[in-house]
Amino acid sequence: MIEELASTFPILTCILFLPVIGAVVLWLFDDEDMVRTSALAIALLELALCVFVLLRFVPESAAMQFSEHVPWMPALGISYHLAVDGISVLFVGLTAFLTVLIVIYSWDTVRHQVKLYMMALLALETTTMGVFLSLDLILFFVFWELMLIPSYFMIKLWGGGAERHYAALKFVLYTLLGSVFMLVGIALLDINYHQWATLRHIEPTYSFDLLELLSVPIPFSQQILIFWLLFLGFAFKAPVFPFHTWLPDALFEGPIGMAVVLAGLKLGTFGFIRFSIPLLPDASKSQTVVSIIMALGLAAVLYGAIMALVQQDFRRLLAFSSISHLGFVVIGLFALNYQGLQGSLLTMINLGFSTAGLFFIAGFLYSRQQSTHLGSFGGMAKQTPLLASFFLFIGLASIGLPGTNGFVGEFLILLGTFKANWLYGGIAVTGVIFSAAYFLWYYERSMLGPLGKAVKDSIRDLHPREILIASALSLMILWIGLYPSPFLNMMNGSVQALVDRLERGTVASLEPKQQVRVD
Amino acid sequence: MTFALTLSSSDLLLLLPEILLTSWLCLILIVDFSFPQLPNEQLAYFNIAGLVATLGCLVWFDVNGITGTLFANMFALDRMALFFKMFIVGSTILVILASIDYIHRFKFFRGEYYFLVVMSALGMMFMASANDLLSVFVTLEFSTLGFYVLVAYLREDIASNEAGIKFFILGIFAAALLAYGISLVYGETGKLVFSDMTTVQATPGLVIGFLLIFAALGFKIGAVPFHSWIPDTYHGSPTPVTAFLSIAPKGAAFAILLRMFFVALATFKPIWTLLLVAVSILSMTYGNIVAIAQKNMKRLLAYSGIAQIGNVLIGLATGTKMGSDAMLFYLLTYLFANLGAFAVVIAVSEAIGSEEIDDYSGLGRRSPFLAFSMLIFLLSLAGVPPLAGFIGKLYIFIAAIKEGLYVLITVGLINIVISMYYYLIVVKKMYVNEPHDRSPLKVSGPIKAVVYVCLAGTLAIGVYPQPVTDWVVSAIMIFSNVADPTASLPIPPAVIPFGG
Repeated sequence: MIEELASTFPILTCILFLPVIGAVVLWLFDDEDMVRTSALAIALLELALCVFVLLRFVPESAAMQFSEHVPWMPALGISYHLAVDGISVLFVGLTAFLTVLIVIYSWDTVRHQVKLYMMALLALETTTMGVFLSLDLILFFVFWELMLIPSYFMIKLWGGGAERHYAALKFVLYTLLGSVFMLVGIALLDINYHQWATLRHIEPTYSFDLLELLSVPIPFSQQILIFWLLFLGFAFKAPVFPFHTWLPDALFEGPIGMAVVLAGLKLGTFGFIRFSIPLLPDASKSQTVVSIIMALGLAAVLYGAIMALVQQDFRRLLAFSSISHLGFVVIGLFALNYQGLQGSLLTMINLGFSTAGLFFIAGFLYSRQQSTHLGSFGGMAKQTPLLASFFLFIGLASIGLPGTNGFVGEFLILLGTFKANWLYGGIAVTGVIFSAAYFLWYYERSMLGPLGKAVKDSIRDLHPREILIASALSLMILWIGLYPSPFLNMMNGSVQALVDRLERGTVASLEPKQQVRVD
Repeated sequence: MTFALTLSSSDLLLLLPEILLTSWLCLILIVDFSFPQLPNEQLAYFNIAGLVATLGCLVWFDVNGITGTLFANMFALDRMALFFKMFIVGSTILVILASIDYIHRFKFFRGEYYFLVVMSALGMMFMASANDLLSVFVTLEFSTLGFYVLVAYLREDIASNEAGIKFFILGIFAAALLAYGISLVYGETGKLVFSDMTTVQATPGLVIGFLLIFAALGFKIGAVPFHSWIPDTYHGSPTPVTAFLSIAPKGAAFAILLRMFFVALATFKPIWTLLLVAVSILSMTYGNIVAIAQKNMKRLLAYSGIAQIGNVLIGLATGTKMGSDAMLFYLLTYLFANLGAFAVVIAVSEAIGSEEIDDYSGLGRRSPFLAFSMLIFLLSLAGVPPLAGFIGKLYIFIAAIKEGLYVLITVGLINIVISMYYYLIVVKKMYVNEPHDRSPLKVSGPIKAVVYVCLAGTLAIGVYPQPVTDWVVSAIMIFSNVADPTASLPIPPAVIPFGG
């Protein structure tokens, strides 16, 4: 049974609400520079809090740490329950890190309604943090849905493309469609708990708490039903092929800041590893489910890569490469063994650095050429050597060159997949080859060779702020690539607990629950 | 059955809120006739004072648990009736506040406007207590009477006249159905009081009778297929009347529906569940799909209201205590969100004289307050967390899932997505489109107050619903005998034969 370590100071609540309170404070300022500086200060403070949590986090432990638990609606069994464990703690840090970079990036690239933009960004940070921190499924759902509102406005008001209104609406409606099914799944989990609890006179009789739900058995047929309902919610958000059609539009039409969040923070696949797999272990490992999801994952890997190969626009290429990478993550998750889960988790974090990093690069290109289409580039390495080098480095990380973070994650996923089934592994490997092809080919056409006609003579290399962003990302890429053990140590405990849970199924939970309080 | 009309003074106490309001009504008329020069605001606040006193009285009853029945069970004052009375009086107060500015559009009879609003409220308070078929008929007609006039109050306006005539003719038709249905039921069973009917046999006459009664009440709540009056009537009526019409009568009619289905027809639950599921599915789907095409804000809210009523019907269809709790909760969230949305419509129409959705373009720049409030209300209607509407939908869906109404749930969920689409169109107009005219909008004090109250309600119920859930759960205790939801469920196996 998972133990909980409560903390004396509600640091997770601070992390959760600091950005949104900061957003309200921003409302008071009128001066644009003041708004930018304050937004940066808030984002940095948030990052500092997250780093503190990361430093105090006990590695190699499956415990839920820094736990805070307050009843919210006891009549329905909804509580305000926050905690981090090995699965979520890194995402929390990643979210704060990326938000700081987005604020820095947006310093001069967002020119109109700066205040509203920063407010939306900070509100978005709160909702994303909420998704990662919540242990109560309704609380989780609240933040999951709330995310749509700042996202909708960000795509709509600050998007660059002509079709941004369509993209914003499509994004909201698609995600909403998935999440309403997820809500039914969540409610079914609650009802199942209720039946169990009333028969055995356990208090409370209703609960949406992950830890409570983990402690009751769920009949197999129910598990399958709930699994697919949750799957729809997570698959639309992730997005898993074939629910991906909103992603290229949203990433292409929306602002770079939004694209970084959407492509960098893998909320959908986080949902699988946080809720679906531990809550429904018997369904997750059933033959049908695994083969369907593996097929979808492999299709995504190949489809995404092939589509990326033929894209002329860099942002669209990134959107499809994102789909392809997500396919990898899904395959790793549903290999359902230690290496696969660990690799997927690490890859989700890695993509936060590499895919998001490439989106920043796309932003750099965009602010120079007002386009990310191939036609406006060519031979830029001569004019902008720094940009070209960072582009190459982050790109190589995203295709998994040894020495970068991408390699560690992908290697673990492939190892896990081969262990599960050599056929799946064999197909997945081709995805790696494709990804090298589409990236390098695009790089060659845009950066190398003769100078493109559309490239302006006055084009400038990266300025200090951009260098700061690119080097921060490169540093993280190198760190995870060369010395991943601090990161892996943090997840190991929880991943091991997950593997155990998968082996034993839901009956395992019938042991008495223990609560340990450590200050 | 003999009627013993002996009233003791303690019995009269049960009628205190109604008596209070009735005397206040007379006072309003006297004041209005005696002081024709009295400014309209003062008359409005005079009305509100009476309603607040009534509300205080109801709260006092509720806190002290004063309940009972009168007139041989015709009039029941239980905590559910108290809930609905508070619901009605509360919404009436807000509607009167929201009318203060709008009323300048009426050339004559401004004082009578308030009188009619309060009179309808009084009728609805009686509806909330109606415990037999006769009092259902009388109170329902009593409350509708005021509305017949109110709907056509804009005398110069053709649309308002059309609304009045439509509402009147269809309303009379519904009344006729109701009377016919009651006579059939009485003819078959010889009974009128709901609680006496629990043992009746299902005969064709009884079935037709109850179907007719249901049709009349369905007309009142505006559920598909009895909704045809709603769009034109809502569109043509003075906006505060539309707001009133879209909330208070629904609450009162649901009180009667609850008594009818949960008490009188409790034994036929499997049958009426099917009926209600069908009506609910039709209402949600029709309301939401037609709402997409609307160009007028009032019509949009009219159709979205039909869909919202479909959601409330989900709770009724479950036929369980939890379902009825959820219904009450949902109605409260609907009260705040819908009334708030109408208040914004009134404010905008006062400022720019239009209710077309196109004219909401750029509202975010012209009046950030109104636009933000509208955003919150629409999102609450759509059921976005953590607003009140989300908790309401969640509550109702959990109740329905517990009863295994999966088809209903699926339709309901798909409808949430559809509704989000047209709510977002309005949001887009407000925040993204360029305004036709950049001048900021002026919002008057009373409207602001209504919007603030509704905002507070929508946010507070969403963030901290516990007191409200406690309230609705205890208000419906009278139905706790209806169904013990856990009793009929299969026992889950202690150990699952796989995976271990």
